[in-house]
Amino acid sequence: MTEPENNGALPPSAAPPETPRVWFWRGVRAGIVSVQGIVLFAGFIGFGGLIRDVGFPLGAALLSTILVWALPAQLIIVGGFVAGSPLPVVALAVGLSSVRFFPMVASIMPTIRGSSGLGTQLLASHFVAVSAWVESIRLMPPLPGNARMPFFFGLSNVFVFGSVAATFAGYLLAGTLPQALANGLVFLTPISFLLQLIRNARELIDWLALLFGLLLVPVFAQVGGALDLLWIGLIGGGAAYLVGRFRRKKA
Amino acid sequence: MSLSDPMLYAYLLVILAGFLPTDVFRFAAVMFSRRIDEDSEALVLVRAVATALLAGVIGRLVLAPTGDLAGVPLWIRLGSIALGVAGYFLFRKSVLAGVIVAEIAIVGGAVYFR
Repeated sequence: MTEPENNGALPPSAAPPETPRVWFWRGVRAGIVSVQGIVLFAGFIGFGGLIRDVGFPLGAALLSTILVWALPAQLIIVGGFVAGSPLPVVALAVGLSSVRFFPMVASIMPTIRGSSGLGTQLLASHFVAVSAWVESIRLMPPLPGNARMPFFFGLSNVFVFGSVAATFAGYLLAGTLPQALANGLVFLTPISFLLQLIRNARELIDWLALLFGLLLVPVFAQVGGALDLLWIGLIGGGAAYLVGRFRRKKA
Repeated sequence: MSLSDPMLYAYLLVILAGFLPTDVFRFAAVMFSRRIDEDSEALVLVRAVATALLAGVIGRLVLAPTGDLAGVPLWIRLGSIALGVAGYFLFRKSVLAGVIVAEIAIVGGAVYFR
């Protein structure tokens, strides 16, 4: 996306007192004007509408936005609830879909941690999801080291609590929105995640893992079984890794 | 309330099957991020598995969605994804442009073909 750089964060010379509080509020402002945030909130409006349609309790849905903070995982939970899946099966599917946070957090934490302590870093890691991760990579580089953690908390709190409000709004709007529009809101999650994966794909392995993962879905839809996501990840990712490794060795 | 109470079960799912298995990876990543080597082979494999898995989640949201979206014909859903990806590349790799193209396609398709 081509947008003015340093979006929402004033140049350091603009305000004299550079306390953590100042950086926190600059992060808040960056979150409010973020295009990423608008797509995110619309997706959570869709989620709020969906949970009302399928009879998932509102309180549990709001709690999931705060505690889980990963829309695909939340959709797996609701899907498991509807299907009556046993808790360990849902936990395994969610865990597998959340493995991606390991490389995501591990790659962003050295950038934002500054001189903050372990407790602060653990708390910050909970707020890392695709949205905050993408915006951090875009906005952090020009900021001084110790500004980054408060800026990150400002930004990600806007995303989380905006999404809680959006979940609630979606719940209230369910049934009043035209059906096609409600479908469009639920559709935001797969299309925005797919395009973000495409944007982040740099090497052959990334492209192959993405392609294999998608192609294996109809295959495992035929086979069925509770562990299909696990197999899609391991087979698709493993095959992509092996092909990529083989190509590297030949080169 | 018993464990078979569906409302209570929803909360248990959120905490035990949602919060715990998600944040365990976030917390583990913080602990390991000090000594982790960005280029290590293990991390390359983990990232590939994570990418394929997320692609699997995306694929399932399109092929077998939960709720009302399932009423929109499959070819509309697949076509909207294809148009969104095409829009992304046509508009200088803009995620927002791709999302907007796909949304116009899916909402339009839902109005006329369901």
